[in-house]
Amino acid sequence: MFHIVVCGGIVPDPLQTLEPVKGPAGWGLKNELMLPSVLDPWASHALYEAAHLAKTVAGSKVWLVSLGPKAKLQQLMMTVAQKAPFELVVADGPASGFTDSFEVAEALHAVIAGIAGLDASKLLVFGGWQSASRGSGSTLQILGEKLGIADHFQGVDKLTVGADGSLEIMERVEGGAYQISTCSGAPAVLGWATGELPEPPNNPQVGMANMRLVMPALQKAKPAAVKADAIDYQSVTLPAQKRETRVVKDTPVDVIAQEIVDWLKN
Amino acid sequence: MDERQVMETDIVCVGFGPAMGGFLTTLARGIVNEDGSPVMESDLMPGMPPQVICYERADDIGVGVSGVVSKARAIRETLPDLDPACLPMCAPITEEKVVYLLDPHGASRRPLPMKAADAAFKLLGGRFPGCTYKDFSWELPYIPPFLNKHGGLTFSIGQFNQWVGNNVMATGAAQIWPSSPGAAPIIEHRKVVGVRLADQGVDKAGKPDAAYMPGMDVRAKLTVVGDGPVGPVGRAIDDARGLPIGHHQRDYAVGMKVVVDLPGHCPLRPGTVIHTIGYPEPEIFGFLYVLPDRKASLGIFVPSWFDNPVRTAYRYLQHWMQHPYLWKYLKGGTLTSFGAKTLQECGQNGEPYLVGDGYARIGEGSGTTNVLTGSGVDEAWASGVMLGEAVVQLLEQGLPFTNENLEKTYVARRRASWLEAEAKQARRSREAFASGFIPGVVGMAISGLTKGALCWPADSEPVHKRIPSIEEYYRGRVSCEEIARIRKDCTAKGLALHDALMDRVGWPAIEYDGKLLISHQDALLIGGKVQAAPGYADHVTFEDHDTCRACREKTCIEACSGQAITTNPDDGVPLFDREKCLHCGACLWNCSKPSKTDPERTNVRFAAGAGGLHSAEN
Amino acid sequence: METILFISPVAADGSLPKASLEALTAAKTLAEGLGAPLAVGLFGADVAPAAAAAAACGQVYAVTGEAFAPARYATDAAAMEALAKAAGATIIVAADDSRVSRALPGVAARLGGRIDAHVTAVAAKDGKAVATRGFYRQRMTAELTRTARPWCLTVSAGCYAAYDGAPGQAAVTAVDVAVIPAMTRTTVKAIVAPSADEQTIRPDATTLFVAGAGWTKKQADGAPHTAEAGQLILGFLGASKASLGSSKSLVDMGGEGEAVLPFLTHLHQVGQTGSTPRHQKGLATCCHGEEPHVVGWRFITERRAVNLDAACGWAQGKADVLYVADAFAVMKKVNELLG
Repeated sequence: MFHIVVCGGIVPDPLQTLEPVKGPAGWGLKNELMLPSVLDPWASHALYEAAHLAKTVAGSKVWLVSLGPKAKLQQLMMTVAQKAPFELVVADGPASGFTDSFEVAEALHAVIAGIAGLDASKLLVFGGWQSASRGSGSTLQILGEKLGIADHFQGVDKLTVGADGSLEIMERVEGGAYQISTCSGAPAVLGWATGELPEPPNNPQVGMANMRLVMPALQKAKPAAVKADAIDYQSVTLPAQKRETRVVKDTPVDVIAQEIVDWLKN
Repeated sequence: MDERQVMETDIVCVGFGPAMGGFLTTLARGIVNEDGSPVMESDLMPGMPPQVICYERADDIGVGVSGVVSKARAIRETLPDLDPACLPMCAPITEEKVVYLLDPHGASRRPLPMKAADAAFKLLGGRFPGCTYKDFSWELPYIPPFLNKHGGLTFSIGQFNQWVGNNVMATGAAQIWPSSPGAAPIIEHRKVVGVRLADQGVDKAGKPDAAYMPGMDVRAKLTVVGDGPVGPVGRAIDDARGLPIGHHQRDYAVGMKVVVDLPGHCPLRPGTVIHTIGYPEPEIFGFLYVLPDRKASLGIFVPSWFDNPVRTAYRYLQHWMQHPYLWKYLKGGTLTSFGAKTLQECGQNGEPYLVGDGYARIGEGSGTTNVLTGSGVDEAWASGVMLGEAVVQLLEQGLPFTNENLEKTYVARRRASWLEAEAKQARRSREAFASGFIPGVVGMAISGLTKGALCWPADSEPVHKRIPSIEEYYRGRVSCEEIARIRKDCTAKGLALHDALMDRVGWPAIEYDGKLLISHQDALLIGGKVQAAPGYADHVTFEDHDTCRACREKTCIEACSGQAITTNPDDGVPLFDREKCLHCGACLWNCSKPSKTDPERTNVRFAAGAGGLHSAEN
Repeated sequence: METILFISPVAADGSLPKASLEALTAAKTLAEGLGAPLAVGLFGADVAPAAAAAAACGQVYAVTGEAFAPARYATDAAAMEALAKAAGATIIVAADDSRVSRALPGVAARLGGRIDAHVTAVAAKDGKAVATRGFYRQRMTAELTRTARPWCLTVSAGCYAAYDGAPGQAAVTAVDVAVIPAMTRTTVKAIVAPSADEQTIRPDATTLFVAGAGWTKKQADGAPHTAEAGQLILGFLGASKASLGSSKSLVDMGGEGEAVLPFLTHLHQVGQTGSTPRHQKGLATCCHGEEPHVVGWRFITERRAVNLDAACGWAQGKADVLYVADAFAVMKKVNELLG
């Protein structure tokens, strides 16, 4: 059996238009608290994989650990909680991509260390191998080190658990290839890529069951000590996106094809 | 997962809008103490307060669409400490204007008297007493009392809903679940006993597919229906019960709007409210509300009595924004949000049975929108508050949610309220629009100024009967042969007709600036952020396919706010793309063909669906 | 005074992978800009060829042994930790390949340092090291610096030219790392690479071909032509040696049991939850969508698109050229012309 801790942050709904702004507390997003949010897409995959694993390995349990503003998390949980059974653990703090990964890992470590009944020998730390905010791919490893875990896997698309509790893991490596490794068992850190499971449907009963623990978790959430001065940002800018698009229409296919081929060969 | 789950709760609600916000805020105060302890106990879960669950169709509770100007009387009564500065995108009203817009292009279809008046305005200009003619516009020297919103607020309903929803959930008295479309009421022995949620893991036709999960049945002693003017639960109840005698739901409008970051040169102050009439077509009303932080919420209403079969709100919106009166404020601005919604414009004429055994109706679907004062949010909120008070009273007294008890508590409150008094005044104020724009405006003024004592009488018709053929609408301007040619060309290319026809009658081409003037698809993607999760059935369907094949107007395509309904080059039955649907519901009433089962309805079916807008700035 | 350490695992043949050679250029540029010494840290079974290649750059430190050959977190982290300590590094620069990206953040944590991953540039400005990297899926770019040391930086591929200085005789300082049982709980079993025929991801290709969901939608005759779409795409990839990317919506269809292109997986996905590959040219076909997808070709220099919709949000303002045409017909002809 496993004790699976899924670390997942809040990111702006991927469809939103983002603009950086510098405020008194450092860099952030314009209207950050107004932007609709989602659970980070990679962390979401990790959560679905965790729920799937917990269902197949009897006695397992899933915690979702998140660092984010309490009010935003409350709203977001109304969507996430319908997807998979978990117990929520909250660190009330910024969800900004501009926060240092080391600071985030420390905040997550502090709340994970406080989870009652968590057995370190059964621990699997799940999360996304990247995030849609900081996109650094480093928080999980730092957290793993703080938890004293020496087996880490990143870009994971598949985890198979052997009868003896050993883990076989498929990680993405360069050029569309996979590295397949085995690990003698928990504890381990797995940063998930997209995995292989589709997004589960919204299950209202799962939502109701989760809610019994979500609201108390939010009420209990303590402010996380996250230092904003770890990184000295010299500038944050939006890349110039607009290109002058030449539109070619009402042109014979042969002409278009020839133009494309000339361009490709040039 | 193939088995349908069933869950019991005390109160189930569908649709989280301002009405539900008012209901849950009021209910929460009655059933839990400030420390979260229960005032009264749930029958189902002893020791806990009554279990209240609200299901919302959209992907989040704050992604609805509406720019609001409101006197906010009911909202402020419930929330006396509401500080506009603490609510994002909210400003007290500082200035109101009603502006008549002339047509700078000569492309709109204006009745002769209007043309004469326009000529007179131009001729007399500033010399007319009380008149400032400038930029093809005339600011009315006086705002009729029934229209003014002095002392009120302008705000974003998306932000307001989020704020209210979070506050409600923080009390622990209710849970609000987004992405959970309520498909239909569960009716047993003429009693509503709960709500069935939409099936998931189905194909477009609704047939079980991978990961099939039948929608859960949520059974409750009270079902609160607040799913708006096109909500499937409310409409199913209307289908089952019919409307009270003499009532009809024949008047609608689609409101399409954008939120804009105003350019630096724009002098408008937060709290400025501008209403426009007369342009781009006489029937189309416009609004511009200035919010804090150089943002504005602006858009148009295209009503069901605008007898143009190619009634595209999007193209008209672009012409409206470019009217010289407005463009001087907007040019250089950036669109940040886009959306549309159907308004139920029948008001009290369209009021359904407000209660029955096991259920109560609140909000716009219950006929709260006041078309005379142009106000709906505060009225919806007020209806929710009244139901909240009634439910707390019945819970305190331990009385069941029967038709009789709900009549005595909730309906009685509504009948005695300002909401009812004002709805009565408004009841016949709009009906003259059925006879045309000028009778409509005059009739509205008469009704408004006499507080409903007088009106300009006219007969209403089911909405589909009002839509003429394209040939008829363009008679004298475009020949039948030319329309046939344009139609053939557009169908082959999978395009709607409206652009080609509007170009043809003299509307200038829209020159995209990539910021405010952008393609409809970009508005959908940049401004609306519209999307739909897989695994749900198509929520827009066509009842009788042969009717569609024979239809020449295909107003559903022309009017679609998201270009989600498109021509089908191979068949006369339009195509529908869920991933572009805003859920405005305009297709439901923008159809020129009656349903074969109910002559008051059209051939378009609009069911429960997830997805839609992902913008909280609305 | 900073001490810059370039750090890298070596390939199976003992050489430095291309991504590492690029990172070496970055490290060298930074060291020169700061006037700081550069050291080279290598680990693997046998590092001699790599040490010779980098000999001219600075002092070479190495952790060697069979235990350090496989890409495994515990041994990789131990090796890099020891190298950093041996070199007394204050700034550590490495490639952001899968192996280093897995282990270096943990090394930073062990050393009490900090890390910035996937940087696109490192430079000396006013005597300070400044890194440039993207945030929010490269939708914004930041220049940043830190006071915490050691500061680890992983450099994205394609941002610097590969180092090609003359090889020399390196005086390698061996660094010992004791391999304890806790480091070998993980065993690397295999690398599963697609066969040359199936190979549709080619990071080194000049061109990225992006396939959108339109390929599997109904065509003008009212029916989808998925098999033909597959043939056209694979035909193009074969003839042009382009790399294949896909929009999320096309990849997701596979999960929903719809008729799909069998050779597409989530590995091909570019954009919001996929990759942001770097290629000189990009040709997008049948794609629609906005920012979540378009971030997928943020690092494509020349962009063209084929789409039936002239107002297509993917192309307008994002591509250099948009061909409004049927991609089936265009790609058929393109394949013919490419022979």
